[in-house]
Order: sequence, then C-alpha cells, then structure tokens
Amino acid sequence: MNQHKETSLNPNDSSHSSRLRWGIGLFFMLCAGLVLADFIFHRHTIHPWETLWGFYALFGFVACVLLVLIAKVMRLFLMRSEDYYDNR
Amino acid sequence: MIIADLHPGLPFFLGALVVLVTPLRYRWIPLLLTPLLGFINLMGWELGTTTELTFLGFTLNPVRVDRLSYLFGILFHIAAFLGILFSLHLKDRMQHIAGLCYAGSAIGAVFAGDLLTLFIFWELLALTSSLLIFARREPRAFRSGTRYLIFQVGSGVLLLAGTIVYFNDSSSLLFEHIGLTSTAGWLIFLAFGIKSAFPLLHNWLTDAYPEATPTGTVFLSAFTTKVAVYALARGFPGTELLIYIGVTMTCFPIFYAVIENDLRRVLAYSMINQIGFMICGIGIGTELAINGAISHAFNDVIFKSLLMMTMGAVLFRTGKINGSDLGGLYKSMPKTAAFCLIGAASISAFPLFSGFVSKSMVMAAALEEGYHWVWIGLLFASAGVFHHAGIKIPFFAFFSHDAGIRVKEAPTNMLFAMGLAALLCIGIGSYPWILYDLLPFPVSYLPFDNTHVIAQLQLLFFSALAFVWLKLSGIYPPELRSINLDFEWVYRKLVPTQFSNLVSAYQRFAEIAHRLWVYSSRRLEVAGRRLHGPDGQLSKTWMTGSMIVIVLLTLSAVLLKNLL
Amino acid sequence: MIPELESGNIALLSMLTPLAATPLMLLLHRYPNWRETVSLGAGLVLLLLVIQLHSAGTTPLETTTLAAPVTGISIALAVEPLGLLFATLISILWLATTVYAIGYMRHHDESHQTRFYIWFAIAISSAIGIAFSANMFTLFVFYELLTFSTFPLVTHSGSREARLAGRTYLGWLVGTSVGFLLFAMVWTWILAGTLDFRPGGVLAGHITPSQGGILLGLYVIGVGKAALIPFHRWLPAAMVAPTPVSALLHAVAVVKAGVFTILKVVIFIFGFDLVNSAWSQELLLYAVATTIIIGSLIALRQDNLKRRLAYSTISQLSYIVLGALLVNSASLTGSAMHMVTHAFGKITLFFCAGAILVTTHKTKVSELSGLGRQMPLTMAAFFIASISIIGLPPAAGTWSKWYLAMGTVESGQWLLLGILMVSSLLNIAYLLPIPLNAFLGSSGNNKSHFQEAPAPILLAITFTAAGCLFLFFWPDTLYQLASSIHLP
Repeated sequence: MNQHKETSLNPNDSSHSSRLRWGIGLFFMLCAGLVLADFIFHRHTIHPWETLWGFYALFGFVACVLLVLIAKVMRLFLMRSEDYYDNR
Repeated sequence: MIIADLHPGLPFFLGALVVLVTPLRYRWIPLLLTPLLGFINLMGWELGTTTELTFLGFTLNPVRVDRLSYLFGILFHIAAFLGILFSLHLKDRMQHIAGLCYAGSAIGAVFAGDLLTLFIFWELLALTSSLLIFARREPRAFRSGTRYLIFQVGSGVLLLAGTIVYFNDSSSLLFEHIGLTSTAGWLIFLAFGIKSAFPLLHNWLTDAYPEATPTGTVFLSAFTTKVAVYALARGFPGTELLIYIGVTMTCFPIFYAVIENDLRRVLAYSMINQIGFMICGIGIGTELAINGAISHAFNDVIFKSLLMMTMGAVLFRTGKINGSDLGGLYKSMPKTAAFCLIGAASISAFPLFSGFVSKSMVMAAALEEGYHWVWIGLLFASAGVFHHAGIKIPFFAFFSHDAGIRVKEAPTNMLFAMGLAALLCIGIGSYPWILYDLLPFPVSYLPFDNTHVIAQLQLLFFSALAFVWLKLSGIYPPELRSINLDFEWVYRKLVPTQFSNLVSAYQRFAEIAHRLWVYSSRRLEVAGRRLHGPDGQLSKTWMTGSMIVIVLLTLSAVLLKNLL
Repeated sequence: MIPELESGNIALLSMLTPLAATPLMLLLHRYPNWRETVSLGAGLVLLLLVIQLHSAGTTPLETTTLAAPVTGISIALAVEPLGLLFATLISILWLATTVYAIGYMRHHDESHQTRFYIWFAIAISSAIGIAFSANMFTLFVFYELLTFSTFPLVTHSGSREARLAGRTYLGWLVGTSVGFLLFAMVWTWILAGTLDFRPGGVLAGHITPSQGGILLGLYVIGVGKAALIPFHRWLPAAMVAPTPVSALLHAVAVVKAGVFTILKVVIFIFGFDLVNSAWSQELLLYAVATTIIIGSLIALRQDNLKRRLAYSTISQLSYIVLGALLVNSASLTGSAMHMVTHAFGKITLFFCAGAILVTTHKTKVSELSGLGRQMPLTMAAFFIASISIIGLPPAAGTWSKWYLAMGTVESGQWLLLGILMVSSLLNIAYLLPIPLNAFLGSSGNNKSHFQEAPAPILLAITFTAAGCLFLFFWPDTLYQLASSIHLP
C-alpha cells in the first residue's frame, strides 16, 4: 500500500529540469549570500552562541536534519495503518 | 449603558436567529452583515468600561472592555468575517448558525469580566463548536466529535468546579489574576489547559479538527484555543510552569507534523506548536513577552485561518486531503496555491509577513529573561515550523509529484476570504504598528533591525536547504497512508481494549461460576435424592424419641449459655 | 378569586380541585371532548389557585386541620415555600400533560381513556396533598394514596407484561414505605411526640446521634419513590405505562414526591445539625453518589428510549437527594431548583419519546438516526431538554447543578464534587448522541419528509422545552422560592 513517491525536486526529472535547476542554483546562492551577510552587518547578541559566525544558518540546517531524522525513527514505533482505531 | 451598546457577542446570536428564518437565497445578507454590525457595535464600547449586574445573588460583570479583551474582540470579528465569507457557498443552515453562535460565544468569553459569565460562554463554545464537527455527517466525524465534546465539556466542568471553589475562598467571581496558589487556581488552570491543548491534553485538537467540515475547521482553528490563550493571559501571566509547558508544546508536535499524512492534521499539530509560543510568552510574563504572546495569537488566527482555508478549498474541490493523494494542484488552483504560500510564509515568520513581527518578541523575551534553553527550544521549533507548515503543506498539496487531479479553482467566496486573510498577513507583516498599537503594553520592540532580519532569514533559508538536501538525497520520509500513535492511544486503544478484556475475563469467570453452580446443584440434587428419595436417609420415619433428644440438647445449650 | 381565604384553605381547595373533576369526567365518559375540557378546566383552576397562593405569601405558617383521629396525629395542610414550589411545578406540568395526553391517547387509540383521566386526576390530587402536608402523617397518607392511584395507570394496557410490572411497582413502593418509612415515622413520633413539620426540626434534643443515624437511614431507604439504587426497580418497570404517565408521574410527580419527602424530613423533622451529626450521613451520601454514577452507566447501555430515560431519572433524582443530605443553604437551594429544572427537562424528553412512538412507532434509540428530518421540532426539543439535563447553557439545568456543586464545596466534599463533574460527562454520552444522530446521522429507513406528531403533543413539547430555556434566562422566581425553603 505504501508506494514511495517520486518527487519533482529530482533534478533529473525531465519536465522541469532546467527551470528547477535554475531555481535551486539561485536558492544556493541566496543561502551563501545570507551567510556572507554576517560579515557585513553586525548582529547585536545576547546569547554567547549567537556570536558564532553563521550560527542561525547552521542551527537551522542542523535542527531540520535532526527533526526529520528523529521523525523518521519515530515512524518505526508510532506508524500504524489508517484504520488502526477503527478495528476494535 | 446606552441602548446602542449591545453585549458584544449578542449581534452574532441575533444574526443566527435571523439566518434561521431567512430563505437560502437571501441568507448571505444577514451572514455578512452580522460581523460587520457586530464590529460597529464593538466600536461603540469605550475602553475601560465594565458593566455590572446582580444575578442569582452574584455580582456579575458580563462585559469588561480593556485593552486585552478589546484586541481579542477585534480579532474574533475579523476571524468570524473570514470564516463566514469562506463558508458562504454552503447550503447547510445548521453550519451557518453554529458558526455564528460559536463566534458569538468566543466574543462573549473574552469580554466576560467574571468567572460565571466566562463559564457560560466556555460551555457554549464547546457545544456550538462541536456542531461544526458533527456537521461532517460521517460516522468517523461523529465519533471524533463526541470525544471532542467530552473533552470540551470536561474543561467546562473543571472551570465550574474551580469557579465555585474560588468563590468559596474569596466570595468574589471577578476574573483577574488567579495564579497557582490555591486548589481553585489549579482547577481553573487545568480547565484552560485542556482548551489550549497542553501536552497530553492535546489530542482532542488533532483528533477532531481534521474531521470537521472543510469550512468548519476554519472557524475551529480561530476561536477555541485562542479563547484559552486569552484566559491564560488574563489569569496566569508570569506563571513559570507555563514556560516549560509552552516550550514542550512548540517542540513535540513538529515531529508528528513531519510524518503526518493528513494535511489538515499537520496544521492541527502546527497549531499546538504556535500556541506553545503564546503560552511560553504568557509564562515569561514580562511586558515584551505578553505583547509577543498576544500579538502572535492575533497573527496566528489569521494565518492559520488562511492555511486552513487553502486546505479546506483543496478538500472541498478534490475530496482529498492526504499528502499521499495530492500534488501538482498549482496547475488547477493557482490562486489558492499563491494564498497558501503567503500563509506558509506568515506562519514561518518570514520578514514582511505577519508571523515575523510577533513570534520574535517571545523569543527575545526568553533571551532577555535568561531562559536560554527555552530560547534554544523555541528556535528549534521555529526552524521546524517552517519545515512542516511552511514547506510541507504547500509542497505536497500544490507542487511535488503531480497526482493528476484536475479540478476547478476554489469558489469565488473562498478566494475572497483567502485573499482578505492574505492581505492582512502581508499588511500586518509590513506595517506591524497597526497591531502594536492595540497591544496591552506600549511596544518599543523594533522588528525590522538587521539582527532580526538576517538571523531569521538565515534560519529559514538553511531550514529550506535542509529540506532540499534531504529531499534530493531521498532521506526525506515519504508521505504514507498511515496514522501515528499519540497520547490518544491511551483512551482510544489501551483503555477500551483493557476494558473489553476485563469484560470478557469477567464473562469467562461468570461462565465458569455458572457451570460450577450447575454442576454443584446437580450434585446436590443427586445427594438430595439419595437422602430424600424413596429409600433416602431422611425419608425414614424417625422415632419421636430422637426428636425429644434434639429438643433437650438445644434447651440445655441455651441454659448453659445463660449460666455462663 | 376569593381573597379572604387563608392559605391553608386555598391549599385544601387546590387539593380537592382535581378530585372534584373526577365525577364529572365519569359522567361525561361518552363525550371525550367534554371530558377533556373538564380535565383542562380542572388544571386551569388548580393553576390559578396555586398562583393565588404565591400572591398570598407564605410567611405565617397556618395549618388547616382536616381530621385528628388520635391526639397528636392529624391530617393537616399547610403552605411553605418548598411545598409551594412542588405544587406549582405539578400544576403547571399537569396542564401541559393534559394537553399532551389528549393528542397522545387519541392518536394512540388507547382504551379506557376515562379511567385513565380519572386516576390521573386522583394521582395529581395526592401529589398536591403531599406538597401541602403539614405533618409527616399526612404526607405518609398521601404518599400511599399516590402509589395506589398510579398503580392502575401503570397497568393501564392490561397486558401480562403490564400486570407483572404493576406487581413490581406496587411491591417495591409499598414494601419500602411500610417496611421502613412507616417504622421511621412511628419511631419519630415515639421520640419527639409530634410529627409536625417545623423549621429546625422536631427531633433535636430527643434523640442520640446513633439513633439519629439509623433513623435517617430508615427515612432515606423508606422513601422508595426517590429510587435510590438498589430500591429503584419499580421505576424502569413503570415504563410500561402510557407515555403521559411516564412523563408527568414517573419523571415528575411520583419521583419528585419521593425526593420532596426526603427534603421535608431533612429540613423539618431532623434539622441541619442533626443530619450533620448523624453517622450515616457520609454513608448515605456515598450511596447516593454511587446511584448517580451507576444510574448513568446503566442508562448508557439501554437501547429502549423510555428505559434509558428512566435510568437517567434514577441518576438525576440522586442529585436532589445528594443536595438534601448535604444540608447547607447552597445544596438545598440546588436540590429544590433541580426538582424543577429536571422536571422540565425530563418531561420534555418523555413527551418526545411519546411523540416519536405515536408518529413512527419506534421505541429504540438505535432506530432514531436521521429522524430529525421528519420530526425537527420534536428532536430540537429533545436537544434542548438534553442540554438542560446535562447542565449546559443555555438551559435551566445549569443553575441547579451550579448550586449543587456549590453545596458540595461548602461541605468540603471534594469527591462528591468530582462525581457531579464526571456525571455531567456521562449525561452527555447517553443523551446527546440521540438528537445529534437524529439530525446528522444517515436517515436509514426513516422518512426524510416532514411528518410531525399531532398538534396537542407538539404544543406541550414546545411549552416544556421553552420552559427549559426560560428558566435559564429568568431563574429569579425559582431561585427566590428555592433559596427560602430552609429558612424559618
């Protein structure tokens, strides 16, 4: 019942490949630019970690990867079929 | 009190009465007029007014207009208008009436100046909102709605108990700061906690909201939990326990949201996450934190309504709401997709969208007050909310793999409602001072300085980067037709199965006992036959002499006892 | 109106009014329209008399003695707030029930209708007698009269099932009253030398606490009409009666006579202090609380609508007994208010059950899915009444449950407060699914076009359901009366 879904984010996808690759490229550049912005603008900080260069970028990335990985592990324990509660 | 100043909730109940008798063709008129007239009526109330009346020997304050209740009053009028506009195409009179009464109850609850009035509207909220779930008219929704109603009324009776104990202690029903110093405080706290979906008490929300009608969920997402947030802000500001409850609420639902398939349930989990920010702010209790919590409640109602509306439109048009069944809908419903993106940007707190100007206040307050670990948790939740509500919702519904569904764009009234909500999201996000001016405390917070903007953009872009990377590398968990166990397992599975086990064990026991009884009575019968039968021991004619012996023995026993 | 009459005399008149109508009904038994007019007329006169009593005020406790067979024991009537409350309740709802019964009995083609109306009037007369009893002996006499006058109504259909039920009915009610209540009464007389109802009680100073505990237990058990589990079996059995009987007598007059007796005994025979010092108070409170929960749980499992309502009544009656046994001003106010609010709610529910029976011949909860399309008014009334029984706004039950909860807090009975809360949730579970399913469930084999019950039935239902709402918004009169029942 569980078919693994193909994603259109796959760069080899024929229909959108060039547009999508452009988009992703632009996105990477924006990311890089934002980290570089830390050099230009001074952020006023309260917490010591905040002073780290690119702290928010790093935090966002790591947090989301962790989030997804943990959620994947949770599936092993918590996932049930859709009619789980209906079968008494 | 001037005659023109009706109780702020009353126009909605009157509107419901008018809708009851208006034929379908003209029903849109009272429906749209109600929140507008209600709003005009509300504007007639001056800040600082409190009405007083004596009822059953109690002194009640049915209406108290201060900055806090006023803000929620305005918010609920906006939310009611959006919800009504969104559901204007319905031919179901009951849903319209339930929606109006629900909005009226929410408004009544936030203007209640005493606990008895609050209790009345609290219960009315429970009752009227449940009708929006039952209106789905499906057995699943029916069961869900019943569970929902039991939870809601459970909250109501706790409030009743708390109120009575409170009155017993202080001879006052005034709804002011309560705190956790007394039994009454704890009872009321728990009542508010159920309605604001505290951890372990949260499953009514994720259980029932996704089962409501496409339009009903829009109403539901606006009122019930926000009334609870208001009540906590009124009764328990600065309660430290709330900080930890709040931060828990921001963090645990996002894991569920990542693996949940039903997109409206994803939003329900995301709702708990957003409420967590508000509760955390209320717990911190400084002016900045309270302002943040309240303004975030304001924004959340609008962007969560917007997201629920887009998903409602998808469900309405396609009849599907699971991430695994949807995808590529931007081709059929481009406007809805655009509105969804605006909602997603707002909930993720992109600069210039509404979430940004309020959520960061709570986090700044956490840092300022030295709750560093709380701040880390909130930051994690901010990244996570973008992940599931900001990316997952629009991605799996409108983009992703094209599921081949071709439908019409959402109806005009839905588009208007979504457009209006989107406009509000961008408006407040770009010019937050319209909201800031309404807040309980003066605002000195500057949302658009370099630090906030860059930090937030970095956080969001790199969260997105993580998504892109995980998706490209195939690590990202696919959408699967499934459900995930949550605390509700205890009362939906564990207790019922254990109970039925108990019942069947009892039945087995009863059967064995019955068999034993049958067996032993048969043996008794046999034994009886042996004694009493034609040749039985007892059937013999006994001598009179033996009778006398027995009587004598008994007598002497009695005598002996008396002598002793 | 005859203003110069004393309140005791008006009480006597109001008791005699239904009785006086019975010979007329008998005479007119061939002319149903006239017979019912007499019944309605008697109802109106009774109501007017009771209203007259309200305006006469009740401050001086005047007693009208009718007979005094033995010195110190008399049959006498007097008017005080609690009795007035009960009499008002009965007279209002008798009128509604008469209207209802006209629709029901004719539409349902019941036999022996004259007999039905006559016994009904006698039962009402006895109930009014109970309401205005000036002493325990009078109350006991009318109490037994009520039992015997309702017996022919229970067995009305004459079927074997009805006769069996009638035997259970009579057995339990007479058994408990003769076995315990009579005994308790005699003992009271021996101890106190009087059976008069006096503010503050008559037993104080004449009884040791241990005797008081036993006597209180005897009274509570002896009043079988209060349907405390396990003395409740007569009530579900009585459901074989025609619906108007179940509605007025077995949701209002008979059962409320039971809890009324307990309230009277607690307030006017024992007095607050004696009840509070009785060792059995706690025990009885928990027995009552158990009845509240068990009654609801059994109701949850009943598929027969009238039986479900009967078990709900058992549970709700114990709310009133609970308030009586807690003996503080809030709890007694709550008890008295609950007598009224529950009466309006439950009579509406029974009216609806009867309306459904007459219109669709359905008696089971499981058959009612989708019925809201056919009978929207009936089911809407059912919904309102359910809300009132549960104690949710905007219905009257909210206030009585509020005061009862206040009573538990005032006595520091946290567990009982919790039980009241849990019971509210149970009430939701056994009541609300019925109207919700009717409106929102699939219609199954029910008709989806409008076909309501006969007009008189609808009229009565609308009236009592409106009462449930009215008493939420304007509870003042009820509250004034209810809060003064224990004041001297």
